[in-house]
Amino acid sequence: MSAAERPSSRWQIMQDGKTFYKRQQLYSIPGKLPHLSDYIVAGCRHGGPIALMRDHTKLVALGRTTSAMTRAQIQVYSPAGDGLLLFSWDQGKIIRFGWTADERLAILNEEGTYRLYDLQGDYQQHSLGNEAGEMGVIDARIHDNGLVALTGSLTLLEVKGWEGSRPLTLASAGLSQPPSSWAIIPPDLNISRHVEVLLSVDSTIFSVDNLECIDQRLSQGPFTHVSPSPNGKSLALLTFAGTLLVVSSDFQRTLAEYKTAEVAGAVGPVNQVEWCGIDAILVTWDNLVVVVGPFGDTLEYSYSGPTFAVTEPDGVRIIGPDVCDLIQKVPSCSTSIFRPGSTSASAILYDAWESFSQRSPKADENIRSIRPELATAVDECIEAAGQEWEPYWQRRLLNAAKFGRGFLDLHNPTDFINMGQTLKVLNAVRFYEIGVPLTYLQYIHASPSHLITRLTARNMHLLALRISTYLSIKPDAVLKHWASAKIMRSRPTATGSGADADLGGDEDVCKLIVDKFEQLGGADVSYAEIAKRAWDVGRRGLATKLLDHEPRASDQVPLLLSMQEDRLALVKAVDSGDTDLVYHVLLHLHKRLPLGSFFRLIEDGGSQLAPASKLLQVYAREQNREMLRDFFYSDDRRVESAVLSLEEAAGILDPASKIAAVRAAQKFFSEDKDRAFESKMMDESARLLAFQQQLEKEADGKIVFFGLSVNDTIRTCLVNGMAKRADKVKSDFKVPDKRFWFVKMQALISSSDFESLDTFSRSKRSPIGYEPFVRYLVDAGHPKEAIPYIARCDSPKRADLYVDCGEWRSAGKECKERGDKNKLEMIRGRCPNSLIARELDQILASMK
Amino acid sequence: MTLDETAPPPTEEPLLDLNLLKDIGQKALVDALNSVNGAKTLVLDASLAGPLGLVIEVSLLKHHGVDKMFWLEPGPLTSTTPNVVYLCRPMIKYVKIIAEQIKRHAREAQKHTYTLLLVPRISTLVTRILEEEGVLGDVRISSYNLQFIPIADDVVSLENDNAFKELWVDGDETVIYDSAQALHSLQKLYGSFPRIVGKGDHAARLATLLTKHLPSDSSTPDALQAESEKIDSLIVLDRRVDMITPLLTQLTYEGLTDELIGIKNSHVELPVSLLTPPPPIGTATPSATPAAAASTSLKKVEPKKKHHLTTTTDPLFAELRDLNFSSVGKRLNRGRHQAKTVAQLRDFVGKLGGLQTEHQSLRLHTGLSELLVPMTHTEQFNKTLEIQQNLLASYEITAQISAIEDLIAQGADLSTVVRLLCLASITCGGVKLKALENLKREILQAYGYNYLPLLLSLASPSLAVLLPNPLPAASPASLAAAKYPFVPLRKALRLLIDDSPEAIDEVENDISFVYSGWAPISVRLVQCVAQKGGVLSNPAEREKAAAASADGTAQHSPIKAQAHPIAGWRGFEDVVATIPGETVDIVQTGGALTAPVASLLRPMQKPTTTVVFFLGGCTYTEIAALRWVGRQNRGRKFLIATTGIVNGNSIIESISGVARSAGSKDAAI
Repeated sequence: MSAAERPSSRWQIMQDGKTFYKRQQLYSIPGKLPHLSDYIVAGCRHGGPIALMRDHTKLVALGRTTSAMTRAQIQVYSPAGDGLLLFSWDQGKIIRFGWTADERLAILNEEGTYRLYDLQGDYQQHSLGNEAGEMGVIDARIHDNGLVALTGSLTLLEVKGWEGSRPLTLASAGLSQPPSSWAIIPPDLNISRHVEVLLSVDSTIFSVDNLECIDQRLSQGPFTHVSPSPNGKSLALLTFAGTLLVVSSDFQRTLAEYKTAEVAGAVGPVNQVEWCGIDAILVTWDNLVVVVGPFGDTLEYSYSGPTFAVTEPDGVRIIGPDVCDLIQKVPSCSTSIFRPGSTSASAILYDAWESFSQRSPKADENIRSIRPELATAVDECIEAAGQEWEPYWQRRLLNAAKFGRGFLDLHNPTDFINMGQTLKVLNAVRFYEIGVPLTYLQYIHASPSHLITRLTARNMHLLALRISTYLSIKPDAVLKHWASAKIMRSRPTATGSGADADLGGDEDVCKLIVDKFEQLGGADVSYAEIAKRAWDVGRRGLATKLLDHEPRASDQVPLLLSMQEDRLALVKAVDSGDTDLVYHVLLHLHKRLPLGSFFRLIEDGGSQLAPASKLLQVYAREQNREMLRDFFYSDDRRVESAVLSLEEAAGILDPASKIAAVRAAQKFFSEDKDRAFESKMMDESARLLAFQQQLEKEADGKIVFFGLSVNDTIRTCLVNGMAKRADKVKSDFKVPDKRFWFVKMQALISSSDFESLDTFSRSKRSPIGYEPFVRYLVDAGHPKEAIPYIARCDSPKRADLYVDCGEWRSAGKECKERGDKNKLEMIRGRCPNSLIARELDQILASMK
Repeated sequence: MTLDETAPPPTEEPLLDLNLLKDIGQKALVDALNSVNGAKTLVLDASLAGPLGLVIEVSLLKHHGVDKMFWLEPGPLTSTTPNVVYLCRPMIKYVKIIAEQIKRHAREAQKHTYTLLLVPRISTLVTRILEEEGVLGDVRISSYNLQFIPIADDVVSLENDNAFKELWVDGDETVIYDSAQALHSLQKLYGSFPRIVGKGDHAARLATLLTKHLPSDSSTPDALQAESEKIDSLIVLDRRVDMITPLLTQLTYEGLTDELIGIKNSHVELPVSLLTPPPPIGTATPSATPAAAASTSLKKVEPKKKHHLTTTTDPLFAELRDLNFSSVGKRLNRGRHQAKTVAQLRDFVGKLGGLQTEHQSLRLHTGLSELLVPMTHTEQFNKTLEIQQNLLASYEITAQISAIEDLIAQGADLSTVVRLLCLASITCGGVKLKALENLKREILQAYGYNYLPLLLSLASPSLAVLLPNPLPAASPASLAAAKYPFVPLRKALRLLIDDSPEAIDEVENDISFVYSGWAPISVRLVQCVAQKGGVLSNPAEREKAAAASADGTAQHSPIKAQAHPIAGWRGFEDVVATIPGETVDIVQTGGALTAPVASLLRPMQKPTTTVVFFLGGCTYTEIAALRWVGRQNRGRKFLIATTGIVNGNSIIESISGVARSAGSKDAAI
């Protein structure tokens, strides 16, 4: 093995003499894939699969094709050339397909319908809406988290995410014909965090987002290829004349220009313009692939047939007829170790380790020479190990790092251990039978759990479980997927098996799943989701059994509803405390059940379902009063019915119907023997309303009485000189004297009718005394009018009341009469000016 | 002339950084706004404006593309921006307005992109109504999860004004769920509550939700599993446990301001002249008119402006807010010579002029107390206080009932009357049927028959604060069970402190200072858990005896008792059991079973925080009393969490559905 050539032997150097590129063969796949040039291809990032569909614009030589070519068919292959999935398409003509971030294949047809296929061939279907359906979709671009479609009317529709959200119309570019080519910059690469569409129109490029369309005023166009870089910062544009332009994505700077037409050996049109890293561009022809560096330097690679390139975050993957390759810039850590003639510390460390393993004393000498940089050298070796594809070189580099570590007093081993673990995982998934050629960088980029999901999507549960255990990731996701797959597999045969056999099957499968979960510690796995899967495939019994194991009520409810376990669903929803969930159930049931049985369900629930009943009332009070009336009526809830009627009365303006509503309330109260008081009150209320109607008539409709309270009715009568009517209200409604006196007094004061006030005060002995007269008059700003009443108040209070009226002298006299010297002194202390003070002093003196 | 010399130094930092909550709220809104590209018109539910104003500034909204802001009101919406963002609570009435506006735009062929941000979460109900109205397809629905908002450095609030009514009148338990979510977020930030103690049926429900249903969220980080080091327990009290407190008139500075002027989302509306600095002395001084006349004219003529009552810019307020109002004048007066009355003081301060904030805040609070003083001198106010004190002492009940009747006759506020009546019912175990019916009739006649539903709600089993005595035979058993054991409780929890008002002026020696001699039951219950000694006798008095040389300044005495660890209701089980409603005491095991034992035995060396959550709202007096409790011990701070700030008026108004008309119409937060 030691004879194995150093990694650098396969590097190619750019003309600038500094940058190395390497072509790593990932898999050898001779004859496994069909001839790519006959197909439309879409590749998935992060070492994902490719999808192929026959390109109907290309001619096919008879005899070579298979019989199924007449129908549209999608084939999915792993990077190792294994067929993962094959299905035929029975919908409208496919416009575009591409991969989502979670490795599902999104297929959009001309009717604006798109489906998302997972690797098992199950799909979800969504639509772009009616408009797109009518206009037709003529093209689309699909990125990780959404798509942009170009409709027949040349408008752009954006779909965010893959949950079937409503498409947004982007700003109009005012196109008259489809763009010669176009591309999108996905939202996560944009500063604005919104998708940007680049349309090549005539000689320029329009950039469009949901707000505006900007003409970037280029002159070199039109372009055949528009390709944004993986970080969204630059764009590669290829003109019809074959000139490759690289510009910054804000179109402010041109970064490079290169004439592809001058490439020797290039035959025919350019197939693809893809990025290799963030500073090099890959241009492909049928048999040739050229990497164009930032300064126009090139590297050429030839293939035996047509290729397809997939841009990866750290390079570009090329699928050719015989091989699957990864072309990438050699990372700096690798260059520093393996570059011929490198004298970096890490190179010397590696050298030292090689010497050591050959028992050469040079090892010690080497280590000594790099003592100060040893730590960095160790780190670099660890990093470089991650970049190597061959386990042989990974091991050697890690060994070198381990060797170097021995000379260090303190070195954090975490990186070393992590790298070892990671490489073990990566080597496992790179194995051709698994076929996920993930690089270290991509793995870090997409997270380990992403890898687990990808493996489960391929039904590789055992590997996924082992990896998650190895990396101490919770096995929940794997278990959940496994259980779902298990249920799918054990789909009961449509014919034959009787009910008994089915039940036994349910029991077994449920036990199998639950046991497995408990054994592997998947306590947090949602049984509800698995139960849902069981329900979806028509295994009600199994679903019920699984649902019993679900601890979260909120997850049980939706399934229970679809299983028509209405009462149970409602009980669980109420238990969860989540009122929104309760509403969900209520509204669902209200829609589905006849009103009668809906009410019965809630009423029969008793106190357990009381919160649900209350919520229904809250909802119905605002949105569906008719239903609420029926609800109360059906349950003989007189008081609630009455209150409802009163609430309605409050909103009614028409006098007759308002009185009718109050009467209705009264009737409801009267039907409940414990509500005699309320009934009486409502009777009074209705009588008052009727009387107020009469009053308004008497006042020729000039004064508003209707709807006032008893007090306000009296007040309004008095203010408007209808004293007789006020008295009638008093007697009709048995208003107590005290209250009547207060109301009348205030009314007379507010209308400044002091004469009537005086008459009123003398009409009989005031039941409220005379102090209120003084106070209210003073508060209303009539202190002078208040003075006569003071004499009628209790004598101890008079002095203070005089003061309140500003009658200091009278206050003084009052004190003198009562011989209350203390009071007088207090009043003296508060007096406003010296004149009064002198007078008070005199009185004070006279009292001595 | 420095003002802060004598102030009690706010030495101890609050243990939990509440600004974190504010930042989270702010960031969530900014993110929600940024998810909509371009200029947008923000349409805001008015009840959210107050809470939002505590979290975010208008300038920040503008910075994130908000072009114009409107209230969410019925009627057409004119928007010039392509995007319209609605921000509201998921209430049916709002959704209907939104649907109406969208339909109108569609008729007028205006094209907008609509986004609906629901606070705090998306609701099926809203989706359903939008669907029924036929506009669901036009709206993108998202949520803005606004949870606890810090309204002081030790108070967080959900600022939900209707919590009480929704829970006990409508029976809508959404608030409990939202509270559980919010408390859960607190746990995510600070670690899980090692122990949950509570009282009341709804409190029990909340505790169940918090312990059973929420934590099984699989996405929760491991931090949640760990017991909090900063928080030693959560005490949940639902408002139903202590209905007396909000019915009483609050007598602290902040509480009284809330009662008489009204504080909404920490903002109080004041005459502009109080808020702007006075003109420099050089110019003509028009304030020659007597102070009393000036203040009355202020009330009527001057335009009002909202002022944010906060201690961050106003250190004087930190000192004043929790004082009994009777001591406020003295505090404002301290260190000033001639100025005797607040009026004189005002002149004194006016002469100082200057723009320094201290002077400005001294001026503000002097002016504010000057506004309050005349209101506390009215006959009605004093009569109300008298009735309250007599009822609490169970003194001459019949006389109090007729005094309430007199208040109705005089035309006192409906809420004042109803508060007293409910208080009478609770303290006396119900009102004699005949007297009660007479009073109800008086109320209906005086204020309108439309208040009958209010009276019915108050008498319903869920609230049971206005009951006849004896109960009618046919009434449900739940009503009898809801009867409040007032008299035994008064004795067991030492609620009524027989202190002369002078003594209260001298030293705040018990939590009862907040009601001048009455201890709020809710806070006593907290003491039952967190300061057991304080229930039975006065820590302050003992302290005074120990440190004989306690001088008048608010200096903390050096020997302060160390707070004891939380041991649930121990020692008060019997008393607590007599109060209607479930009793909760849950130890949340942080994984290991040994945890509870450890937490019990854990020496209280590390300072810790006890979270007190009021489900259904709390009053400013309760906050003041809890702060007082917190000051009596070393090692324990209280974090007060609530669904909102309430007082008796706001509760009665929310039940009757007749809210005090919201004054300002400007769409500024």
